[in-house]
Amino acid sequence: MKQGGLQNYIIRRLFYAFLIAFGVVTVTFILLRVGPSSPADKYLANISSRTQDPAKVIEAVEARYGLDRPLYQQYFNYLVSLARGDWGWSFSTSLPVIELIKRHWIYSFQLILLSMLFASSLGILIGIYSAVKQYTKTDYAATFFSFIGISIPNFWLGIMLILVFSVQLGWFKTYYDTGLPLFSLANLKALILPVITLGTGMMAGYTRYSRSATLDNLRKDFVKTARAKGLPEYIVIGKHVFRNAILPIITIIMFDLAGVVFGGAYLTEIIFGIPGLGRISFNAIFANDYPVVITITLIGAMVVLLTNLATDIVYTWLDPRIRYD
Amino acid sequence: MRRITEVFGGRRNLLFSGLLLALLFILLLDLFFVHHIFSPFVYFYLCFALVIVFYGIYPLYVSRRLTRYYWDRTKRHHLAVIGLVFIIFLVAVAIFGPFLTQDPTKVDFPNKNLPPVGFSAEQSTYDRTTGQFITRETPGTWLHPLGTDDKGRDMLAMLVSGTRISLQVGLMATLIAIFIGLIMGVVSAYLGGWADNALMRFTDIMMTFPFFLLLVFIVFIFGPSLWFIILAIGLTGWTGTARLVRSESLSLRTRDFIMASKSLGASDRRIVFHHLIPNVLSSVIVIATLSIPGVILAEAALSFIGLGDPTVTSWGLVLQAGQRSLETAWWIAVEPGIMLFLTVLAFNFLGDGVRDAFDPRSQV
Amino acid sequence: MATNNTILQVSELKTYFFTRLGVVRAVDGVSFGLRQGECLCLVGESGCGKTATALSILRLVDSPPGQIVGGEIKYHNENLLRSTGARLRQIRGNRIAMIFQDPQSSLNPVLTVGEQIMEPIRLHLKLGHRQARDKALSLMKQVGIPQSAERMAYFPHQLSGGMKQRVMIAAALSCNPEILIADEPTTALDTTIKAQILDIFRELKQQMNMSILFITHDLGTVAGIADRIIVMYGGRIAEAGSTLDIFDQPKHPYTWGLLNCLPTIAERREKLSPIPGMIPSLIDPPEGCIFHPRCQWRMSVCQQAKPPEYVISGEHIAACYLYQKAPASAGL
Repeated sequence: MKQGGLQNYIIRRLFYAFLIAFGVVTVTFILLRVGPSSPADKYLANISSRTQDPAKVIEAVEARYGLDRPLYQQYFNYLVSLARGDWGWSFSTSLPVIELIKRHWIYSFQLILLSMLFASSLGILIGIYSAVKQYTKTDYAATFFSFIGISIPNFWLGIMLILVFSVQLGWFKTYYDTGLPLFSLANLKALILPVITLGTGMMAGYTRYSRSATLDNLRKDFVKTARAKGLPEYIVIGKHVFRNAILPIITIIMFDLAGVVFGGAYLTEIIFGIPGLGRISFNAIFANDYPVVITITLIGAMVVLLTNLATDIVYTWLDPRIRYD
Repeated sequence: MRRITEVFGGRRNLLFSGLLLALLFILLLDLFFVHHIFSPFVYFYLCFALVIVFYGIYPLYVSRRLTRYYWDRTKRHHLAVIGLVFIIFLVAVAIFGPFLTQDPTKVDFPNKNLPPVGFSAEQSTYDRTTGQFITRETPGTWLHPLGTDDKGRDMLAMLVSGTRISLQVGLMATLIAIFIGLIMGVVSAYLGGWADNALMRFTDIMMTFPFFLLLVFIVFIFGPSLWFIILAIGLTGWTGTARLVRSESLSLRTRDFIMASKSLGASDRRIVFHHLIPNVLSSVIVIATLSIPGVILAEAALSFIGLGDPTVTSWGLVLQAGQRSLETAWWIAVEPGIMLFLTVLAFNFLGDGVRDAFDPRSQV
Repeated sequence: MATNNTILQVSELKTYFFTRLGVVRAVDGVSFGLRQGECLCLVGESGCGKTATALSILRLVDSPPGQIVGGEIKYHNENLLRSTGARLRQIRGNRIAMIFQDPQSSLNPVLTVGEQIMEPIRLHLKLGHRQARDKALSLMKQVGIPQSAERMAYFPHQLSGGMKQRVMIAAALSCNPEILIADEPTTALDTTIKAQILDIFRELKQQMNMSILFITHDLGTVAGIADRIIVMYGGRIAEAGSTLDIFDQPKHPYTWGLLNCLPTIAERREKLSPIPGMIPSLIDPPEGCIFHPRCQWRMSVCQQAKPPEYVISGEHIAACYLYQKAPASAGL
C-alpha cells in the first residue's frame, strides 16, 4: 500500500516539476522580451553599427532568429527549440551553447561537489559535537565561529585568502590553472582555496543547523531508552540521535544548493578564474551574449528543481513516518 | 467625521493617510512645478519614517509593558545589543558621514595607493629630477586616514559613501520584499482556493530560480542602476516571506479570536488589518532583520562583479578595485570587506536576538 | 532494615536540578530497599520526585541541569553512584532494565522495532544477528505481540500504543534483568490496554521472580500488583508500608487524601474529594513538613522542622508528627 502511494507521489511530483520548469522558462522569456533594451536589441545594435547597411543586417538577423515574428510565435519557437535541445548559439565564443556548457560544466561541478563534501562533513560533525557539549566553552566557540562564517562575504574571504596565501606567502597561484588535468593532486591543490572560499559559509550554516537538530533530539525520551539499554554514548549519539537529526539537515543541505551554492560558486569562479558555468555566464554578460546567460540561468533553476525532487524522494526512504496518500 | 475615521480604521490610519497624501502632493509639485524640492530618496525616507513612527514607535510607546518585555528578552543576548549599537553607528555614519568626509569620487593621481595611517608601503614613483622610476617607502598620512585607492580617491570617503549605499539597498529592498511577501501571503491565505493555488505556484516558480543567478539575469537585462537593483532584489526576494506569512495566517485563521470576531460580524478587511497582520508582524520583523544581510551581500556581490551602479561608490565597487591591486595595495580590498563583514555580522547578531525575543516557544 | 534478599538499597538519595530559577530539590533524602521478587510501588502526584528517583538509580538524570548530590544506591553491595561509566553500561539494560511512560516517544521513530529489541541482546548477550532475531521473536511472543515475525520490520508509528509498550517491555526483558524499573508504564494507555499490560507485569513477577520497581501516580493501578507501596510527596517519603498497610490503615494525611481521590465501587460517595491546594514548588519549599500548607491536621511543629519517619508497625512508617510517640525509623 505504501509503495503504491509512493509511486503515485513521485509521479505527481514529476508532473509538478514539469509544470514548474514550464513556468521557469516562461518567466525567463518574459523577462527577456519585456526588458527596456532587450539583449537581442543590444546585440542587433552592436552588429548593425559595424556594417554599412544596418537596416538590412537587422532584417537578416531578425529573420534568422525569428525576431520578426509575433511574440506568441517567438515564445512557441523558443519552447520547441529548448525542448529539442537546441539552446542557441553563443555569439561571443562562436560555439553552440550546448557545446560551451559541455566543455565547462565539469569545473563548476568539481568545485561545488568538493565544497559540499567539505562543508557538510565538517559542519555536521562540529554541529553534533557542539550540541553534545552544550553550554561548554567548545559549544560557545563553535557557535561564535559559525556566526562569523555565516557573516563573512565569501567573495571577500576568497580575496583575503589570495592576499595571504598566494600574494604574501606564495603557496598557491593567484589564478586557477586550467591546464591541469582534472583528476590530479595538483588540481586538488589548486582547488583548496576556492573550496574554502565557497565552503566556509556553507559549513557555518550546517554547523548551526545540525547543532539545533541534534539538540532537538538529544532530550527526547528515546535517547533515554537507548542509554537505559546500556548502549555506549557513541552509539546513542551516532545511531539514535544522528538518524533522527540528519533528516532536517539533509533537507536544508539540498535546499541550500539553490541559494548559497549557485550564488557562491558564481562568485568563487570569478575570483579564482575557474572556467566553470559561473565564469562563462559572467563573460557572456559583458559580451552581451544572451543565449549563454539564459541557458545558464535555466540550468541553475533546473538543478534546483531536480534536487528538490530528489530530496523529497530520498526523504521517503530516510523517514519511515512519512506517507503519501 | 466618525464615518471617515471608521473607513480608514482608526484615527491613526487617518492621520497616516493624510500625511502620505501631503507627501504625494509635494511630490507632484516637485514633478510638475517646482523642480527638485527633495531628491527621490528623501521621499522614500519620509515615507519610511512615517511608517516607522505610526506603526513602529507609536504602538511600542502605547504598549510600553510589551516593549519592555521584548527589550528585556533581546537584551539578554549581549551580541544582539552589540549588533544593534553597531547598526546605529552605521546609520549615523550613513546620514552624517558624507558631509564630513572628502568627495569620494575625487581622483588624485599623485596621491594614489597611500596606505592607512600607521602603515607604510613601497611605491614606485616617477622622479622628475632623474627621470627614473624609484622605489620609495610611503607612510600613511592623516589627510587620508584609511589610505587611498589606485586612483588616489580617499578610502574613508568611499567607505562612508558605501555605508550609505549598503544601508539604502538593505533597507529598501528588504522593505519592498517584505511588503510584497506580506501581501502575497495574507491574500493567499485569506482567499484560499484557486487564488491561493495560483499565487503559491508562482511563488514556487520564483523560488526555483537561484536567487543570485536570477538577480544577475535581471540586472543584465534591465541594466545597472541603484534604483533598479533595489527593485530587482525586492521583486525577487519576497518568496520566503510570502510562504511564512501564508502558513502563519492559515494557522491564525482558525484560531478562536478570529472566529470570534467573524461571528461578531467583522468585515474581511477588518479581520485582515486588525487581526491577521498584527499577529504575523512579529515573524515578519524577524525575517526582515535576518534578510537584510543577505540583501546587502547581494548588492555588494553585484557591484563586485561589475553589475552594480557605476555612478555610486559602493563597497562592492571598491572591493573590485581592491582585487585588481592586491599585490600593490592590500588595504583597498581589506577595508571595504571588513565593513561589509561587520555590517552583516551585526545584522545577524541582532536578527538572532530578535528571533529569540519574538519566539514565544523559547521561553526560558 | 536491609534484609538478606534486598538486592537494591537506596539510602538518603538526593537529586537536585540546578535551573536558572533556582535549585529544584526533586529528590531530597529518600531511602528504601527492593527485595528479590517483589513489586515495590512508588506513588505520588506528578512532580513529587518519583521519576527522578527512578532515573537516579541508573544515573540517567540529564546533567546539566540534574545532579545526584548525595546518598548511596547499593546494588548487591556495589554503590552505583561510584561505578564507572563502563560498569554502569554493563548493568543498564542487562541487570537493571527500565521502561518509560510514553511508548510513543520512548521508541526511536526511525528504527524498526525488531532492531530496537535486538539492540540490548546483541550488546549484552553478545549474540549474532540470527540468534538475536530468534530471541527477539520469542520475547515478542512472551509479551503478547501477535504476528511477531512480521512486526519485527515495523516502525513504531505502525503499531498501536499498547503494542508499542509491549515492544518496550520486550526490549527491557531481553537480557533477563534482575530488576525492572517501570516508570508510569500504563499512564499513556487506554484502560483496557492498561489492564493487559498490568497482567504482563504480574506474570513477570510470578513466573520469573523478577524484582519490579513500579512507579505511578495512580494508587488504583498498584493495588493489584504491589507488595509494598511507598508514597512520595515533595521529594520525600510520606508513608511506606505493605499494600495492606497503605490501603487498610493509611496513616499519613497525604495518603488519606490520595485514597479519597480513588473512585470505589463499594462506597458510593457523592463526589471524589481532591486534596486542596497545589503541589509545592520544590525550588522554594515550605518550611517544615512540605505537606503542611495542604494539611487539615497541621500543628505548629509541622511548620518548623521536617518530620522524621516514624515506625507505625513493622515495615509501616509515616513521616508525620501525628505519630510523634512512635519510635523514629532507622531507615527501611
